[in-house]
Amino acid sequence: MQDEEVWIKRNETPPLKNPVVVVGSPGLRSIGKLAVDSLVDQTKATLIAELYSTHFPSVYETSPSYAAHPSMPGEAGAVVELGRADLPKVQFYASANLQLVLVRGYHPNFYGQYVVAQKVVDFLGDLGVERMVVVAGFGSKDKKIVCAANSQKALEDLKTRFDVGVGYKGPFMGFSGLVFGFAKLRGIEAVCLFAGTEPNEENLELPDPEASGRVVELLNRMLSLKK
Amino acid sequence: MNAEIKVIKQIAPNELVLICGLPGAAYIGKLSIDYLIQQLKAELVGEVYSRFFPPFVIIKEDGLVELMRNELQHVRDETGRDIVFLSGNAQAFSPEGQYEITDKVLDWAIEKGVKRVYSVAALVTDREFEAPNVYATATSALMLEEAKSKGAQVLDHGVIGGENGLILGLARKKGLDGICLLAETHGYQTPTGEYVIDPRASKAALNVLTQFLGIKVDMEPMDKQVAQMDEAIAKMAEIERRVREEMMQSGKRPSYVT
Repeated sequence: MQDEEVWIKRNETPPLKNPVVVVGSPGLRSIGKLAVDSLVDQTKATLIAELYSTHFPSVYETSPSYAAHPSMPGEAGAVVELGRADLPKVQFYASANLQLVLVRGYHPNFYGQYVVAQKVVDFLGDLGVERMVVVAGFGSKDKKIVCAANSQKALEDLKTRFDVGVGYKGPFMGFSGLVFGFAKLRGIEAVCLFAGTEPNEENLELPDPEASGRVVELLNRMLSLKK
Repeated sequence: MNAEIKVIKQIAPNELVLICGLPGAAYIGKLSIDYLIQQLKAELVGEVYSRFFPPFVIIKEDGLVELMRNELQHVRDETGRDIVFLSGNAQAFSPEGQYEITDKVLDWAIEKGVKRVYSVAALVTDREFEAPNVYATATSALMLEEAKSKGAQVLDHGVIGGENGLILGLARKKGLDGICLLAETHGYQTPTGEYVIDPRASKAALNVLTQFLGIKVDMEPMDKQVAQMDEAIAKMAEIERRVREEMMQSGKRPSYVT
């Protein structure tokens, strides 16, 4: 067992010089996570690091729902994929060709969210990241994408170059929200793309591949990912 | 990062007082202190971050993102005295976090030579009143006498929830003078449980606080807010009265299930 609350296991990392990072995590209609999954496949980025934390939930007494209670976001317990069990984790991928880092997030419990987010942003800062794009969803009947940012300049740039304006106000909870918030303290310029999606009351994380596809299409243009 | 102060600008105060008004019941503390910050044109000198703030960020109407944080705003008044205001968009959600943050801020202020700490908070009451009373609790009998001479009443006993109260308790432990001014409010809440601001109570608290500080502040903008909120609160009180009346007439009583 590690002494720290959060620890990172690193793999070989390709040479990176001020890469752009795209961050997504489970959440409303899984839009952020789907977008990152899609970009990992598309770019053939390699796994460079995994972040573990004692704050990733191992059990919830009730069925977790992302929006029902702020202290019980995301999934709880060991993760099983293809028959193999592993701990919950945040994964970092990188592509040297595209100078791109991808972060597939994971929700810590209520008390560990700041610690995990700060560690993620510190790690990205150490990789030399200067620009961040966070992907998430927001409840809307319109199939549109709106944005937020940590600088006026970034907002103006998105509007001028890609016709993406502001349109969501309110709280942004969980992993992606705090990573977005911490970016400024580390000197990273950050924007967030919120894709409009109709919440599914039965299952708030029911995947919306159409909405995530819209964001991926925009990201491909913004970051020139299809060369 | 239990609690961390990010220094924006170094200050070298002559004679420092610290005034705390964090968001709480009816936003009386925050509203009062934010008003003084605006009127006295105080300048941001420090930001307080903590893992104990609620775990979300706010996307503001202009599209900019904001972490939960407390702020230290500084002004040097005409007499050369330095005032630092502690305000912010949240309080820590746990007792542990409230102690960590308050302790950190007080130690920072002590290092800067603070001698006296003020805080402004709410006293939620069911009492009907024309004008809200302001109550005071302090670290010494002498300060309570001073408060009485400025129109406040002594709070004999009670509890002050959150950091606006805790800062006074910790100030006493650290050998500082301190006084907390609590303005009466009905503490109305929206159907979603958010407090409705009470500028009338804030104005009452400011009336006492500005006497303590020996400063004059233009209250016209606050008076406008008072007029607007009086109207809104009167409407809410009327709705509450009608609901009570209907319940009494129908023989129903409010009940609890525990």
